[in-house]
Amino acid sequence: MRTLAIARQLPSWLWPLIAGLALVAGPWIGLNAVWTRQLTLIAIYTILVASLNLTFGYAGLFSLGQVAMYALGAYVTAILMVHGWPIIPSLVAAMFAAGVLGVITGLPGLRLAGWGLGMTSFFLVILTPDIAQVFQSQTGGLFGLAIFGNALSAKGVYLACAISMVVVLGLLRNLVSSSFGNSLRVLRQSPVLATSLGLNVHGLKLKSFILSSIPAGLAGGLYVILDHYVSPDSFDLTLGVLFIAASVLGGTESIYGAFFGVAVIQFLTWRVTAFQQYSLVAYGLFLVLGGVLFSRGIAGIARDFGNRITRKAIVVPDRLAPRLTTPDAIAPIPGQLLQLTEVTKDFQGNRAVDDVSLTAGPGQVTGLVGPNGSGKTTLLNLISGLYQPTAGDIVLGEQRLRGVAPHRVARGGVARTFQTPIIPAGMTCLEVVASAGYANDAPGILATMLRLPACGRANRSRRTSALETMRLVGIEHLAEQPASGLPLGSRRRVEVARALAGQPRLVLLDEPASGLDEGEVDDLALVIRRVADAGGTVILVEHNFRMVCEVSDRIYVLESGRLLAQGTPDEIQRDEAVAASYLGQLPDAEEIIPHPNPVGSE
Amino acid sequence: MLTVWLGICTGAVYTLVAVGFNMVFVASGTFNFAQPQYLVVGTFIAYTAVFTWGLSPWIALPAGLVIGAVSGIAQERLAIRPVAAKGINAELVTMVGWATAMEGIVLLIWGENPLAVNGVASNSVLMVFGTRVTVAEIVIVAFTLAVALGLHFWSHRSLLGIACLATSEDRDSAMLRGINVKLLGVGAFAVAGGVLALAGPIAGPITFAVYSFGNTVVLYAFLAMAIGGFGHNIGAVVGGISLGIFQSEISLYLGDKWVDILTFVLLLVVLLARPQGLFGQRRERVI
Repeated sequence: MRTLAIARQLPSWLWPLIAGLALVAGPWIGLNAVWTRQLTLIAIYTILVASLNLTFGYAGLFSLGQVAMYALGAYVTAILMVHGWPIIPSLVAAMFAAGVLGVITGLPGLRLAGWGLGMTSFFLVILTPDIAQVFQSQTGGLFGLAIFGNALSAKGVYLACAISMVVVLGLLRNLVSSSFGNSLRVLRQSPVLATSLGLNVHGLKLKSFILSSIPAGLAGGLYVILDHYVSPDSFDLTLGVLFIAASVLGGTESIYGAFFGVAVIQFLTWRVTAFQQYSLVAYGLFLVLGGVLFSRGIAGIARDFGNRITRKAIVVPDRLAPRLTTPDAIAPIPGQLLQLTEVTKDFQGNRAVDDVSLTAGPGQVTGLVGPNGSGKTTLLNLISGLYQPTAGDIVLGEQRLRGVAPHRVARGGVARTFQTPIIPAGMTCLEVVASAGYANDAPGILATMLRLPACGRANRSRRTSALETMRLVGIEHLAEQPASGLPLGSRRRVEVARALAGQPRLVLLDEPASGLDEGEVDDLALVIRRVADAGGTVILVEHNFRMVCEVSDRIYVLESGRLLAQGTPDEIQRDEAVAASYLGQLPDAEEIIPHPNPVGSE
Repeated sequence: MLTVWLGICTGAVYTLVAVGFNMVFVASGTFNFAQPQYLVVGTFIAYTAVFTWGLSPWIALPAGLVIGAVSGIAQERLAIRPVAAKGINAELVTMVGWATAMEGIVLLIWGENPLAVNGVASNSVLMVFGTRVTVAEIVIVAFTLAVALGLHFWSHRSLLGIACLATSEDRDSAMLRGINVKLLGVGAFAVAGGVLALAGPIAGPITFAVYSFGNTVVLYAFLAMAIGGFGHNIGAVVGGISLGIFQSEISLYLGDKWVDILTFVLLLVVLLARPQGLFGQRRERVI
């Protein structure tokens, strides 16, 4: 056990690399011809499944079109080789063609999700024979296309496939363990969250479609080099289901898992004669059982095992966030003036926000209260660009926000939290907080895949500023904890930290105190005050009236979409209309909550 | 004229499957990818009843109903409900898994060759408006229309139907109003599975019994449903029949290889240009 624990201290890429190199050297260290052929197939399929995992597992896009890219790669390679092209240029052309098809099929995928995307990509697979027939003179139609000459030896083919697999897995592994991979996780969790972090959802989806198509094209080309023959029969839906089954079996959110998922299925097909006959039933059961019982696959089991050995088990103490005591000196936050002028929003005849004008200044907390359904969250959604106002204007600093796409609003410095915290699964707190910076400083895809220095620099600076924000919010000790499993209070703080980490010009907090205990509410109030004191512009939507009065400089009261009252906390508490509509009754003089509240100075 | 009629007949099969999609979609909010497999099972039951056991095809109706309903319940309990909390992707995986497993079982029992099915209606030919029409074809079209229209009126008139609509609108509020949404969900799987398997001896003369039939029909019926608007049964009739005619005409004028390609184009156009379908309402995104 101790040696294993030490082994885990080594860089995480070392063991897979050694295993990969051993695999590449296989035929020269005693692998026989039959095994070589099987491993060649496994290598090809692994490339496909690992790249499928990028879209399916990480980005959560249910795209079954991988088989179509595979088919296209195979046909392009075969046709070019028939025309006398050498192998490597043919393979490059195959990857390029698959990438182009990735763009074409990705375009509808931008607007579709779930089944819409699943079905269109599924459809693409059954089109393969039809398209082969349309281009019969080139593809040989239903009879297929054979290539003569230009053959590599079996060992040569194996070498090509194994090296391709090691390279593709390495590049994909770099990609998913980077800010790009985390952006995909954010997208999978919630496109709304991705948008509000300034990530371009369309761009991300398109990139992941392209990045998963290119290796599929390569795999198709390698398949042709192996078999010297291609026909539509090789690319049916069963193959598509096989890939999904292998993906689920290996673990969808994993790159190396693909190899094991493929290996298990390939081995069964090869060794268990009856498996051929039962293959459909078996794939079906893999999918159902995989989905229901071990949704993280072989990779998930391996990860749990690894964590047990190094005792990195997740410890969740009763109270994760210690009380904040001494206010730190904090870096200034560049808040700006937000002005809403006569903003109105209709939903099919239902007026959710009616002629609301509001000003929120830097260095101030602007409270927004009102009964349920009074339009508070709608107002936040209008400011963040998720809804477009029916009438009126929204201006932050010098910039008009009306008509600007939500991810651009976010990039322009509008950060927010959600009523129910949205924390992506599979990320540590530090990563979640750092994700606020992805939109503005993410290095290019190529730099990420090759781990160029720029990538490491961006990582380090993001990490430093994320840690600083976490200290401000009092959660720096949670940095390495998986964020989605934390208690509600801590998750809210993680969200607040994320909202602050991107140097926001405006912070929107949507009911941050709901579900928190009194101590946590006090801590949160202190954090909000700190942010405003550092120059931030804060809009706080909240039902905890005491807290709103304690931290706000100015309070706006909404009722049925209309502005009912505005003023200082003191004025609002004495306002009869507010009392009648929202509070129930006017408070007695001694019950008036004083402001500013000296929280933290105790 | 004959191509139009043949299109209407295939379209009726798409409609039937699309109505099955709708039943489950309205009551439980899920898209039952495995739905066409129930029809496939029904056609094989009809085949077995007549050719293997020498029974009347009418036996296949109740047999299909029971087997389909039981499989539907099994699907909901074993593959859908356990992953309900895990988000749509887990559900997509288990749905595809269940469909594949059903297809595999059919393949194991009956093999891969298409089998002709003698249905409840005869194949005798009538001349209607100068077109050759078989009784079996008329029966499948009439049956589909009856199921779709019946379901449409039932869901808008009966208390249970309205409860289904309410559930599809807002699951949580429906639950709070005392609607047993879990029971509705499993019930919808059972009814949709039962009706489609029961339709085996009715649709069989047109579709034949083919194990892989579901692979393409799932796409066509999905498109039929998308054209009409998800959850809308009159829409499913319009979508299914017009898709059937569309494909039939393409096959006549351009050749079979263009049928799927142009159907795919139509799917893209519908999903991108009018994702809510002809009869559906557009909903604005809400957090």
